[in-house]
Amino acid sequence: MEAPPVTVMPVTGGTINMMEYLLQGSVLDQALDSLLHRLRGLCDNIEPESFADYELVYLLKGQQGNPFLLRARRSMMHPTAPWHLRYLGQPEVGDKSRHALVRNCVDVATSHSLPEFLNEMGFRLDHEFVAKGHIFRKGALKVVVSKLFRVLVPGNTENTEPLSLSYLVELSVLAPAGQDNVSEEMRNFAEQLKPLVHLEKIDPKRHM
Amino acid sequence: MQQREEKQLEASIDSLISRVAQLKNSLHNFIFKLENEYDRLTWPSVLDNFALLSGQLNTINKLLKNEKTPSLRNQVIIPLLLSQDRDEELAKLTELRVPVFSHEIVPDHLRTKPDPEVEEQEKHLSAEAARIGLDVAQKQIQALNKICSNLLEKLNNPREDRETESAAARQNKPFFNPADTTALVAAVGFGKGLAKCRPPGPVAPGQPGQGPIMAGGPSLQQVAVSGSSNQQAAIGGPVPPQQPGQPGKMPSNIKTNIKSASASMHPYNR
Repeated sequence: MEAPPVTVMPVTGGTINMMEYLLQGSVLDQALDSLLHRLRGLCDNIEPESFADYELVYLLKGQQGNPFLLRARRSMMHPTAPWHLRYLGQPEVGDKSRHALVRNCVDVATSHSLPEFLNEMGFRLDHEFVAKGHIFRKGALKVVVSKLFRVLVPGNTENTEPLSLSYLVELSVLAPAGQDNVSEEMRNFAEQLKPLVHLEKIDPKRHM
Repeated sequence: MQQREEKQLEASIDSLISRVAQLKNSLHNFIFKLENEYDRLTWPSVLDNFALLSGQLNTINKLLKNEKTPSLRNQVIIPLLLSQDRDEELAKLTELRVPVFSHEIVPDHLRTKPDPEVEEQEKHLSAEAARIGLDVAQKQIQALNKICSNLLEKLNNPREDRETESAAARQNKPFFNPADTTALVAAVGFGKGLAKCRPPGPVAPGQPGQGPIMAGGPSLQQVAVSGSSNQQAAIGGPVPPQQPGQPGKMPSNIKTNIKSASASMHPYNR
Protein backbone atom coordinates (compact mmCIF):
# COMPACT_ATOMS: atom_id res chain seq x y z
CA MET A 1 0.00 0.00 0.00
CA GLU A 2 1.21 3.46 -0.54
CA ALA A 3 1.86 5.75 2.32
CA PRO A 4 -0.10 8.98 2.20
CA PRO A 5 1.50 11.73 0.12
CA VAL A 6 2.76 13.68 3.12
CA THR A 7 5.69 11.42 3.90
CA VAL A 8 7.56 8.93 1.86
CA MET A 9 8.59 6.18 4.28
CA PRO A 10 7.71 5.83 7.92
CA VAL A 11 11.11 5.92 9.53
CA THR A 12 14.37 6.55 7.78
CA GLY A 13 17.93 6.49 8.94
CA GLY A 14 19.30 4.43 11.72
CA THR A 15 16.65 1.76 12.01
CA ILE A 16 16.48 -1.69 10.47
CA ASN A 17 13.28 -2.56 8.73
CA MET A 18 11.68 -4.87 11.24
CA MET A 19 9.19 -7.47 10.18
CA GLU A 20 6.64 -9.09 12.37
CA TYR A 21 6.08 -12.79 11.87
CA LEU A 22 2.65 -13.74 13.08
CA LEU A 23 0.57 -16.85 13.75
CA GLN A 24 -2.90 -16.61 15.22
CA GLY A 25 -5.42 -18.93 16.75
CA SER A 26 -8.05 -18.96 19.42
CA VAL A 27 -8.99 -21.01 22.44
CA LEU A 28 -12.34 -21.32 24.18
CA ASP A 29 -12.73 -19.93 27.67
CA GLN A 30 -13.06 -23.31 29.28
CA ALA A 31 -9.80 -24.51 27.79
CA LEU A 32 -7.90 -21.41 28.83
CA ASP A 33 -6.44 -22.89 32.00
CA SER A 34 -4.92 -25.88 30.26
CA LEU A 35 -3.43 -23.58 27.66
CA LEU A 36 -1.92 -21.32 30.30
CA HIS A 37 -0.42 -24.28 32.11
CA ARG A 38 1.06 -25.60 28.93
CA LEU A 39 2.49 -22.23 28.02
CA ARG A 40 3.96 -21.85 31.47
CA GLY A 41 5.75 -25.10 30.95
CA LEU A 42 6.93 -24.39 27.43
CA CYS A 43 7.96 -20.77 27.76
CA ASP A 44 10.71 -19.06 29.67
CA ASN A 45 10.53 -19.48 33.37
CA ILE A 46 9.41 -16.05 34.41
CA GLU A 47 6.20 -15.16 36.12
CA PRO A 48 3.62 -14.77 33.37
CA GLU A 49 2.56 -11.19 32.98
CA SER A 50 -1.02 -10.17 32.67
CA PHE A 51 -1.95 -7.03 30.87
CA ALA A 52 -4.97 -4.86 30.20
CA ASP A 53 -4.59 -2.60 27.22
CA TYR A 54 -6.82 -0.08 25.54
CA GLU A 55 -6.17 0.16 21.84
CA LEU A 56 -7.41 2.83 19.50
CA VAL A 57 -7.05 2.38 15.79
CA TYR A 58 -6.70 5.53 13.74
CA LEU A 59 -7.38 5.78 10.08
CA LEU A 60 -6.21 8.27 7.52
CA LYS A 61 -8.24 8.13 4.36
CA GLY A 62 -6.12 9.00 1.43
CA GLN A 63 -7.24 9.67 -2.08
CA GLN A 64 -6.16 6.25 -3.16
CA GLY A 65 -7.95 3.12 -2.15
CA ASN A 66 -6.29 1.82 0.98
CA PRO A 67 -6.48 3.92 4.11
CA PHE A 68 -3.48 4.25 6.37
CA LEU A 69 -3.83 2.56 9.74
CA LEU A 70 -2.06 3.39 12.96
CA ARG A 71 -2.62 1.63 16.25
CA ALA A 72 -2.28 3.50 19.52
CA ARG A 73 -2.21 1.44 22.65
CA ARG A 74 -2.07 2.34 26.28
CA SER A 75 -1.90 0.15 29.35
CA MET A 76 -4.82 0.32 31.73
CA MET A 77 -2.75 -1.31 34.44
CA HIS A 78 0.03 1.26 34.28
CA PRO A 79 -1.65 4.56 33.49
CA THR A 80 1.55 6.58 33.58
CA ALA A 81 3.43 4.38 31.15
CA PRO A 82 3.96 5.84 27.68
CA TRP A 83 1.59 5.15 24.86
CA HIS A 84 2.63 2.72 22.21
CA LEU A 85 2.18 3.53 18.55
CA ARG A 86 2.44 0.79 16.00
CA TYR A 87 2.29 0.63 12.25
CA LEU A 88 1.68 -2.69 10.56
CA GLY A 89 2.12 -3.02 6.85
CA GLN A 90 0.36 -5.29 4.46
CA PRO A 91 1.29 -8.96 4.71
CA GLU A 92 4.14 -9.84 2.44
CA VAL A 93 3.04 -12.00 -0.39
CA GLY A 94 6.08 -14.21 -0.32
CA ASP A 95 6.20 -17.85 -1.18
CA LYS A 96 3.29 -19.82 0.10
CA SER A 97 5.57 -22.22 1.91
CA ARG A 98 6.39 -19.69 4.56
CA HIS A 99 4.54 -20.73 7.63
CA ALA A 100 3.87 -17.39 9.22
CA LEU A 101 2.30 -14.12 8.18
CA VAL A 102 5.05 -11.57 7.58
CA ARG A 103 4.46 -7.87 7.61
CA ASN A 104 6.41 -4.71 8.11
CA CYS A 105 6.24 -3.39 11.63
CA VAL A 106 7.25 -0.09 13.17
CA ASP A 107 6.88 0.48 16.91
CA VAL A 108 7.43 3.67 18.84
CA ALA A 109 6.64 4.86 22.31
CA THR A 110 4.92 8.19 22.57
CA SER A 111 3.72 10.65 25.13
CA HIS A 112 0.20 10.92 26.43
CA SER A 113 -0.80 13.55 23.94
CA LEU A 114 -0.92 10.97 21.18
CA PRO A 115 -4.70 10.94 20.49
CA GLU A 116 -4.87 14.71 20.15
CA PHE A 117 -1.78 14.71 17.97
CA LEU A 118 -3.23 12.12 15.65
CA ASN A 119 -6.49 14.00 15.46
CA GLU A 120 -4.64 17.17 14.52
CA MET A 121 -2.72 15.28 11.87
CA GLY A 122 -5.97 14.31 10.26
CA PHE A 123 -6.36 10.77 11.50
CA ARG A 124 -9.81 9.74 12.56
CA LEU A 125 -10.58 7.18 15.23
CA ASP A 126 -11.86 4.13 13.42
CA HIS A 127 -12.48 1.67 16.19
CA GLU A 128 -11.31 0.89 19.65
CA PHE A 129 -11.21 -2.15 21.88
CA VAL A 130 -9.83 -3.39 25.14
CA ALA A 131 -7.58 -6.42 25.33
CA LYS A 132 -6.91 -8.23 28.57
CA GLY A 133 -4.81 -11.31 28.95
CA HIS A 134 -1.42 -12.81 29.51
CA ILE A 135 1.86 -12.58 27.74
CA PHE A 136 4.54 -15.26 27.59
CA ARG A 137 8.01 -15.24 26.10
CA LYS A 138 10.30 -17.91 24.80
CA GLY A 139 13.52 -16.41 23.51
CA ALA A 140 12.45 -14.18 20.67
CA LEU A 141 8.98 -15.73 20.48
CA LYS A 142 6.18 -13.87 22.11
CA VAL A 143 2.85 -15.50 22.90
CA VAL A 144 -0.07 -13.26 23.74
CA VAL A 145 -3.31 -14.77 25.02
CA SER A 146 -5.91 -12.06 25.17
CA LYS A 147 -9.62 -11.55 25.45
CA LEU A 148 -11.02 -8.77 23.32
CA PHE A 149 -13.69 -6.50 24.69
CA ARG A 150 -15.92 -4.20 22.79
CA VAL A 151 -16.13 -0.68 24.18
CA LEU A 152 -19.79 0.18 24.50
CA VAL A 153 -19.54 3.85 25.17
CA PRO A 154 -16.67 5.40 23.24
CA GLY A 155 -13.87 6.44 25.52
CA ASN A 156 -15.28 4.61 28.49
CA THR A 157 -13.09 1.63 29.26
CA GLU A 158 -15.12 0.54 32.25
CA ASN A 159 -18.16 -0.35 30.24
CA THR A 160 -17.03 -3.21 28.04
CA GLU A 161 -18.41 -6.49 26.87
CA PRO A 162 -16.49 -9.48 25.57
CA LEU A 163 -16.42 -9.90 21.84
CA SER A 164 -16.69 -13.67 21.88
CA LEU A 165 -16.36 -16.67 24.15
CA SER A 166 -12.79 -17.28 23.13
CA TYR A 167 -9.38 -15.93 23.81
CA LEU A 168 -7.20 -14.84 20.93
CA VAL A 169 -3.78 -16.48 20.88
CA GLU A 170 -1.04 -14.80 18.91
CA LEU A 171 2.50 -16.01 18.41
CA SER A 172 4.78 -13.32 17.06
CA VAL A 173 8.43 -12.60 16.49
CA LEU A 174 10.00 -9.28 15.59
CA ALA A 175 12.95 -9.88 13.35
CA PRO A 176 14.77 -8.16 10.52
CA ALA A 177 13.56 -9.01 7.09
CA GLY A 178 14.74 -12.11 5.34
CA GLN A 179 15.16 -14.55 8.22
CA ASP A 180 13.19 -17.55 7.22
CA ASN A 181 14.31 -19.86 9.99
CA VAL A 182 12.15 -17.77 12.28
CA SER A 183 9.01 -19.17 10.74
CA GLU A 184 10.37 -22.70 11.17
CA GLU A 185 10.85 -22.08 14.88
CA MET A 186 7.38 -20.64 15.14
CA ARG A 187 5.88 -23.61 13.42
CA ASN A 188 7.64 -26.03 15.76
CA PHE A 189 6.38 -24.12 18.74
CA ALA A 190 2.89 -24.05 17.33
CA GLU A 191 2.99 -27.84 16.94
CA GLN A 192 3.45 -28.17 20.67
CA LEU A 193 0.29 -26.26 21.37
CA LYS A 194 -1.92 -28.59 19.38
CA PRO A 195 -4.62 -29.76 19.93
CA LEU A 196 -5.48 -26.99 22.35
CA VAL A 197 -4.92 -24.25 19.81
CA HIS A 198 -4.33 -24.38 16.10
CA LEU A 199 -2.01 -21.53 15.30
CA GLU A 200 -1.99 -20.71 11.65
CA LYS A 201 -1.42 -17.83 9.38
CA ILE A 202 -4.68 -16.12 8.78
CA ASP A 203 -4.82 -13.61 6.00
CA PRO A 204 -6.95 -10.74 7.25
CA LYS A 205 -7.88 -9.72 3.73
CA ARG A 206 -9.75 -12.93 3.23
CA HIS A 207 -12.21 -12.04 5.91
CA MET A 208 -12.71 -8.45 4.93
CA MET B 1 6.48 -90.78 55.60
CA GLN B 2 6.63 -88.71 58.72
CA GLN B 3 10.18 -87.74 57.99
CA ARG B 4 9.40 -86.67 54.46
CA GLU B 5 6.66 -84.44 55.68
CA GLU B 6 8.89 -83.00 58.32
CA LYS B 7 11.57 -82.31 55.75
CA GLN B 8 9.07 -80.67 53.44
CA LEU B 9 7.76 -78.58 56.27
CA GLU B 10 11.20 -77.43 57.22
CA ALA B 11 12.17 -76.63 53.65
CA SER B 12 9.01 -74.68 52.98
CA ILE B 13 9.31 -72.76 56.21
CA ASP B 14 12.89 -71.87 55.42
CA SER B 15 12.01 -70.55 51.99
CA LEU B 16 9.05 -68.69 53.49
CA ILE B 17 11.33 -67.07 56.05
CA SER B 18 13.78 -65.97 53.36
CA ARG B 19 11.02 -64.53 51.15
CA VAL B 20 9.50 -62.67 54.05
CA ALA B 21 12.92 -61.32 54.96
CA GLN B 22 13.32 -60.03 51.41
CA LEU B 23 9.92 -58.39 51.59
CA LYS B 24 10.80 -56.80 54.86
CA ASN B 25 14.02 -55.42 53.43
CA SER B 26 12.36 -53.88 50.43
CA LEU B 27 9.66 -52.37 52.63
CA HIS B 28 12.35 -50.97 54.88
CA ASN B 29 14.17 -49.40 51.93
CA PHE B 30 10.99 -47.95 50.54
CA ILE B 31 9.99 -46.38 53.84
CA PHE B 32 13.46 -44.94 54.23
CA LYS B 33 13.25 -43.44 50.76
CA LEU B 34 9.83 -41.97 51.42
CA GLU B 35 10.87 -40.45 54.70
CA ASN B 36 14.24 -39.06 53.74
CA GLU B 37 14.36 -38.52 50.03
CA TYR B 38 10.80 -37.49 49.39
CA ASP B 39 11.71 -34.30 47.58
CA ARG B 40 13.88 -36.09 45.07
CA LEU B 41 11.48 -38.94 44.53
CA THR B 42 9.84 -39.33 41.15
CA TRP B 43 6.60 -41.10 40.48
CA PRO B 44 8.17 -43.80 38.26
CA SER B 45 10.57 -44.83 41.03
CA VAL B 46 7.71 -45.01 43.53
CA LEU B 47 5.88 -47.19 41.07
CA ASP B 48 8.97 -49.37 40.78
CA ASN B 49 9.03 -49.87 44.52
CA PHE B 50 5.40 -50.81 44.58
CA ALA B 51 5.96 -53.21 41.73
CA LEU B 52 8.80 -54.83 43.61
CA LEU B 53 6.65 -55.30 46.70
CA SER B 54 3.84 -56.68 44.66
CA GLY B 55 6.17 -59.15 42.96
CA GLN B 56 7.50 -60.35 46.24
CA LEU B 57 4.03 -60.80 47.68
CA ASN B 58 3.19 -62.79 44.61
CA THR B 59 6.09 -65.17 45.08
CA ILE B 60 5.09 -65.71 48.69
CA ASN B 61 1.58 -66.51 47.57
CA LYS B 62 2.87 -68.94 44.98
CA LEU B 63 5.05 -70.58 47.54
CA LEU B 64 2.13 -71.09 49.85
CA LYS B 65 0.05 -72.52 47.05
CA ASN B 66 2.84 -74.82 45.93
CA GLU B 67 1.91 -78.48 46.14
CA LYS B 68 5.21 -79.27 47.80
CA THR B 69 4.20 -77.12 50.73
CA PRO B 70 2.40 -79.16 53.35
CA SER B 71 -0.79 -77.75 54.60
CA LEU B 72 0.29 -75.32 57.28
CA ARG B 73 -3.25 -75.20 58.53
CA ASN B 74 -2.75 -78.54 60.16
CA GLN B 75 0.21 -77.41 62.20
CA VAL B 76 -0.28 -75.98 65.63
CA ILE B 77 2.13 -73.77 67.49
CA ILE B 78 2.06 -74.06 71.22
CA PRO B 79 4.22 -71.85 73.38
CA LEU B 80 6.06 -74.07 75.79
CA LEU B 81 7.69 -71.54 78.04
CA LEU B 82 6.69 -68.01 78.79
CA SER B 83 8.86 -65.81 80.90
CA GLN B 84 9.01 -62.16 81.82
CA ASP B 85 12.76 -62.13 81.41
CA ARG B 86 14.51 -60.59 78.52
CA ASP B 87 15.73 -63.19 76.08
CA GLU B 88 18.86 -62.09 74.26
CA GLU B 89 18.63 -64.71 71.55
CA LEU B 90 15.10 -63.73 70.72
CA ALA B 91 15.99 -60.07 70.79
CA LYS B 92 18.82 -60.63 68.34
CA LEU B 93 16.67 -62.76 66.05
CA THR B 94 13.88 -60.23 65.90
CA GLU B 95 16.11 -57.15 65.68
CA LEU B 96 15.02 -55.98 69.11
CA ARG B 97 11.36 -55.93 68.20
CA VAL B 98 10.48 -58.81 70.55
CA PRO B 99 12.82 -58.76 73.54
CA VAL B 100 10.61 -60.72 75.88
CA PHE B 101 8.57 -63.79 75.11
CA SER B 102 5.79 -63.07 77.53
CA HIS B 103 2.03 -63.28 77.94
CA GLU B 104 1.50 -60.02 76.11
CA ILE B 105 3.09 -60.85 72.83
CA VAL B 106 1.82 -64.42 72.52
CA PRO B 107 -1.81 -63.56 71.68
CA ASP B 108 -0.63 -61.11 69.02
CA HIS B 109 2.13 -63.10 67.38
CA LEU B 110 0.66 -66.55 67.55
CA ARG B 111 -2.91 -65.72 66.62
CA THR B 112 -4.60 -67.76 63.92
CA LYS B 113 -7.95 -66.05 63.78
CA PRO B 114 -8.25 -63.13 61.40
CA ASP B 115 -9.31 -59.69 62.57
CA PRO B 116 -12.97 -59.34 63.48
CA GLU B 117 -13.69 -57.11 60.50
CA VAL B 118 -11.93 -59.46 58.15
CA GLU B 119 -13.80 -62.38 59.65
CA GLU B 120 -17.09 -60.52 59.16
CA GLN B 121 -16.27 -59.87 55.53
CA GLU B 122 -15.24 -63.43 54.87
CA LYS B 123 -18.43 -64.72 56.40
CA HIS B 124 -20.41 -62.29 54.30
CA LEU B 125 -18.63 -63.32 51.13
CA SER B 126 -19.03 -67.04 51.69
CA ALA B 127 -22.73 -66.56 52.48
CA GLU B 128 -23.12 -64.58 49.27
CA ALA B 129 -21.29 -67.22 47.28
CA ALA B 130 -23.46 -69.99 48.69
CA ARG B 131 -26.59 -67.96 47.97
CA ILE B 132 -26.20 -67.31 44.27
CA GLY B 133 -25.72 -70.89 43.30
CA LEU B 134 -23.21 -72.65 41.13
CA ASP B 135 -24.22 -71.84 37.56
CA VAL B 136 -24.75 -68.13 38.22
CA ALA B 137 -21.31 -68.09 39.73
CA GLN B 138 -19.93 -69.83 36.67
CA LYS B 139 -21.51 -67.26 34.37
CA GLN B 140 -20.05 -64.45 36.40
CA ILE B 141 -16.64 -66.04 36.25
CA GLN B 142 -16.87 -66.36 32.50
CA ALA B 143 -17.95 -62.75 32.08
CA LEU B 144 -15.06 -61.57 34.21
CA ASN B 145 -12.61 -63.66 32.23
CA LYS B 146 -13.90 -62.31 28.96
CA ILE B 147 -13.62 -58.69 30.09
CA CYS B 148 -10.10 -59.25 31.36
CA SER B 149 -8.97 -60.86 28.13
CA ASN B 150 -10.52 -58.05 26.06
CA LEU B 151 -8.71 -55.50 28.13
CA LEU B 152 -5.43 -57.37 27.88
CA GLU B 153 -5.78 -57.63 24.14
CA LYS B 154 -6.48 -53.91 23.80
CA LEU B 155 -3.52 -53.04 25.96
CA ASN B 156 -1.14 -55.38 24.22
CA ASN B 157 -1.95 -54.61 20.62
CA PRO B 158 -1.59 -50.95 19.71
CA ARG B 159 -3.81 -50.38 16.76
CA GLU B 160 -4.37 -47.45 14.42
CA ASP B 161 -8.12 -47.59 15.05
CA ARG B 162 -7.45 -46.57 18.58
CA GLU B 163 -6.27 -43.21 17.27
CA THR B 164 -9.61 -42.61 15.60
CA GLU B 165 -11.50 -43.79 18.68
CA SER B 166 -9.62 -41.45 20.96
CA ALA B 167 -9.86 -38.65 18.41
CA ALA B 168 -13.62 -39.18 18.25
CA ALA B 169 -13.77 -39.07 22.04
CA ARG B 170 -11.82 -35.83 22.04
CA GLN B 171 -14.18 -34.25 19.50
CA ASN B 172 -16.76 -33.97 22.22
CA LYS B 173 -14.62 -31.45 24.01
CA PRO B 174 -13.33 -29.00 21.44
CA PHE B 175 -10.75 -26.61 22.65
CA PHE B 176 -11.22 -23.91 20.11
CA ASN B 177 -13.82 -22.65 17.76
CA PRO B 178 -12.61 -21.78 14.26
CA ALA B 179 -15.46 -19.32 13.77
CA ASP B 180 -14.30 -17.49 16.88
CA THR B 181 -10.78 -17.45 15.51
CA THR B 182 -11.84 -15.71 12.33
CA ALA B 183 -14.05 -13.29 14.25
CA LEU B 184 -11.25 -12.34 16.63
CA VAL B 185 -8.66 -12.01 13.90
CA ALA B 186 -11.01 -9.83 11.90
CA ALA B 187 -11.69 -7.70 14.94
CA VAL B 188 -8.02 -7.17 15.67
CA GLY B 189 -7.09 -6.78 12.02
CA PHE B 190 -9.54 -4.19 10.90
CA GLY B 191 -12.17 -3.74 13.56
CA LYS B 192 -14.86 -6.03 12.25
CA GLY B 193 -17.55 -6.36 14.84
CA LEU B 194 -16.38 -3.34 16.78
CA ALA B 195 -18.32 -0.13 16.86
CA LYS B 196 -17.13 2.25 14.23
CA CYS B 197 -16.57 5.52 15.96
CA ARG B 198 -18.17 8.50 14.38
CA PRO B 199 -16.94 12.07 14.59
CA PRO B 200 -18.83 14.30 17.02
CA GLY B 201 -22.41 14.45 15.88
CA PRO B 202 -25.78 13.60 17.32
CA VAL B 203 -25.11 10.84 19.77
CA ALA B 204 -27.63 8.03 19.67
CA PRO B 205 -28.02 6.07 22.90
CA GLY B 206 -25.61 3.18 22.93
CA GLN B 207 -26.95 -0.30 22.44
CA PRO B 208 -24.86 -3.42 22.78
CA GLY B 209 -24.52 -4.91 19.34
CA GLN B 210 -26.63 -8.03 19.12
CA GLY B 211 -26.10 -9.52 15.72
CA PRO B 212 -26.34 -7.55 12.54
CA ILE B 213 -28.65 -4.67 13.10
CA MET B 214 -29.29 -3.17 9.74
CA ALA B 215 -30.04 0.50 10.31
CA GLY B 216 -33.38 1.15 8.76
CA GLY B 217 -33.12 3.95 6.30
CA PRO B 218 -29.77 5.36 7.24
CA SER B 219 -29.66 9.04 6.90
CA LEU B 220 -27.03 9.04 4.25
CA GLN B 221 -26.51 11.90 2.01
CA GLN B 222 -24.57 11.47 -1.08
CA VAL B 223 -23.33 14.69 -2.34
CA ALA B 224 -21.59 14.55 -5.63
CA VAL B 225 -20.54 17.71 -7.21
CA SER B 226 -20.02 17.59 -10.88
CA GLY B 227 -16.97 19.25 -12.17
CA SER B 228 -18.71 21.32 -14.81
CA SER B 229 -20.70 23.37 -12.40
CA ASN B 230 -17.77 25.67 -11.82
CA GLN B 231 -18.09 25.64 -8.14
CA GLN B 232 -15.34 25.68 -5.69
CA ALA B 233 -13.97 22.50 -4.21
CA ALA B 234 -16.98 20.55 -3.12
CA ILE B 235 -17.19 19.08 0.29
CA GLY B 236 -18.54 15.63 0.90
CA GLY B 237 -21.85 15.02 2.60
CA PRO B 238 -22.01 15.05 6.37
CA VAL B 239 -21.04 11.80 7.96
CA PRO B 240 -24.22 10.03 9.06
CA PRO B 241 -24.45 9.25 12.72
CA GLN B 242 -24.28 5.49 12.84
CA GLN B 243 -25.59 3.90 15.97
CA PRO B 244 -22.80 2.71 18.22
CA GLY B 245 -22.63 -0.97 18.85
CA GLN B 246 -23.68 -1.77 15.35
CA PRO B 247 -21.26 -4.20 13.77
CA GLY B 248 -19.53 -2.43 10.95
CA LYS B 249 -20.92 -4.66 8.25
CA MET B 250 -22.40 -1.85 6.27
CA PRO B 251 -20.00 -0.49 3.76
CA SER B 252 -19.51 3.17 4.18
CA ASN B 253 -21.82 4.83 1.73
CA ILE B 254 -20.28 8.21 2.16
CA LYS B 255 -19.09 9.58 -1.08
CA THR B 256 -16.74 12.38 -0.43
CA ASN B 257 -15.64 14.27 -3.35
CA ILE B 258 -12.79 16.45 -2.37
CA LYS B 259 -11.33 17.99 -5.42
CA SER B 260 -8.20 19.95 -5.14
CA ALA B 261 -8.52 23.44 -6.35
CA SER B 262 -6.87 23.01 -9.67
CA ALA B 263 -7.00 25.39 -12.60
CA SER B 264 -10.18 23.95 -14.00
CA MET B 265 -12.04 24.73 -10.79
CA HIS B 266 -11.10 28.33 -10.78
CA PRO B 267 -14.02 30.32 -9.42
CA TYR B 268 -13.45 33.06 -11.88
CA ASN B 269 -14.16 31.26 -15.02
CA ARG B 270 -11.53 32.28 -17.45
